[in-house]
Amino acid sequence: MNESESPQASFLDRWRLRFGHLPWYRRYEALLLAVALWAAGGAWLLPDAGRPDLPVALAVIAWYVAWFLLVATVLVDREKPIWLKRIGSLSVLALFAWLFVRYSGTRWDRVQDQFFAFDRMDGVWEMYAQGLAVTLQLSAVAAAISLVLGLTLGVLRSLHNPVLELFIGLYVDFFRAMPLIVSMVVIFYALPFIGIRLPAFWAATLALVLMNSAYQTEIFRAGIESVTRGQSDAAAALGLSGVQTMWHIVLPQAFRTIIPPLTNNLVSLVKDTAVAYVITVPELLTNAQHAVVWKRTPTPLILSMFLYLATLIPAIHFTRWLERRSARWVAR
Amino acid sequence: MTGTGATGGRDPMIQMEAIHKYFGPHHVLKGLDLRVERGTVVALMGPSGSGKSTFLRCMNRIEEPSSGIVRIDGMRINELRVDIDQVRADIGMVFQEYNLFPHLTALANITLGLVHVRGSSRREAEEVGRAALERVGLADQAGQRPPELSGGQQQRVAIARSLAMRPKVLLFDEPTSALDPEMVHEVLDTMRELAQEGMTMVVVSHELGFLREAAHRVVMMDDGRIVEEGPPDQVLGEPENERTRAFLGKLL
Repeated sequence: MNESESPQASFLDRWRLRFGHLPWYRRYEALLLAVALWAAGGAWLLPDAGRPDLPVALAVIAWYVAWFLLVATVLVDREKPIWLKRIGSLSVLALFAWLFVRYSGTRWDRVQDQFFAFDRMDGVWEMYAQGLAVTLQLSAVAAAISLVLGLTLGVLRSLHNPVLELFIGLYVDFFRAMPLIVSMVVIFYALPFIGIRLPAFWAATLALVLMNSAYQTEIFRAGIESVTRGQSDAAAALGLSGVQTMWHIVLPQAFRTIIPPLTNNLVSLVKDTAVAYVITVPELLTNAQHAVVWKRTPTPLILSMFLYLATLIPAIHFTRWLERRSARWVAR
Repeated sequence: MTGTGATGGRDPMIQMEAIHKYFGPHHVLKGLDLRVERGTVVALMGPSGSGKSTFLRCMNRIEEPSSGIVRIDGMRINELRVDIDQVRADIGMVFQEYNLFPHLTALANITLGLVHVRGSSRREAEEVGRAALERVGLADQAGQRPPELSGGQQQRVAIARSLAMRPKVLLFDEPTSALDPEMVHEVLDTMRELAQEGMTMVVVSHELGFLREAAHRVVMMDDGRIVEEGPPDQVLGEPENERTRAFLGKLL
């Protein structure tokens, strides 16, 4: 210390004394040197814009990974300031975007007139209105039926009756393992061969109900089992019957646990209605696809994407609000 | 004044005869007999795992006895044709962990049973509920939810919940064991008053001061059997059984 404070010691000596014991990633001059080397490497190897050949592409990717690792050394160091970590994280994303724009070969000039050709959309808006109506109907009907079925099976499963347990367990396993698109196609295209004919709308509803009520059975069962034994003991000691206990004591408390996964499930159900496209239900995606053929532009598809987002993002925020509200009377 | 075991005495409120209970391979109650006279307080004591809580829970069939006879007020209650819900409405039970319903206010905790089991109108039930809260000194807490109350207050609400049903008998399963020390007395005071008013009570508790004062009979259990029973002065003062002595030694 004395040495560093004496006037004879050079600037470099003092610098070394103060920072020399630190590892390289804690020394800003080392980090700056690394950034400079990386930048120089980029200037040397980065090709012109446009889709590069494979070896050049690999070199560009390696160059990107080098930056990623450099940022990572900053991110994992607890002593680095938070603003530096934020800038580092953002730079990784920004660099990716810049490389993608430059080297993916995308025709950016076409985005405007292909994806957003609103001048060619007359007649399409009505199709959207119809499609959205069908999507909402399908969601509402499937959600209502599967909630009733899921709640019933969930309550039955929570009783731990071995016979019920076996049948409900098989049902749940079967439809959780079965891809939705498979059961929908089987119901609509295969069952008619053995004489079971369902209109497309009801085939889609049935497939959605079978899958979602299987998930909901598990959600309800877990919620019911999260209510402690003491609660049903106390209710029984008061003389409430099993059904009264379930209705007045267990289910209201179970809903606290149930609401987040259940609303997630309902949001996925609404999204999954788009699968009904494969069995010709005239829902949002089907109508958008028809409009694409009719108007010879993919704009309707892009629009349907935004319609799903506009419907479901508020729904997701509503579920967050419900979660916060139901957390208010949480017991210890 | 005090009962004298399984025979004789006054009008019995609870009679347990040859109660056995198995949990899987574990034989936890090994042929217990007990008789609780109307208007008396009987205390169950014993080390943890001795079966005292299970025995208590057999009295309203929250726990189903594997064999034996349970009679409440002269009626056998462990039979198929018995409507157990109606029987339980007449037997109050207070738990170690209070087991109040956290989603309901203190008052709603009390009115629930009155409305849905006793069939009272909501207005009637609220009157009875407020009176019950008044009795345990919590009239001003009617609108609070359980998590907003202290442990002692929660346990008193739980007692009020049982009292409002006008039970013939009250069962207490370690009612003060989960409480902070400074809250124990408020619950014991309430129980003492009930005992003085002539409520029939069975209490699993190790609060020796309270038992000496309020209990008519103390029953000492160990390993699923009753090892000693008698008036508190005798069982707590000069126990005959070695295991009772050892247990009391650990308590003090």
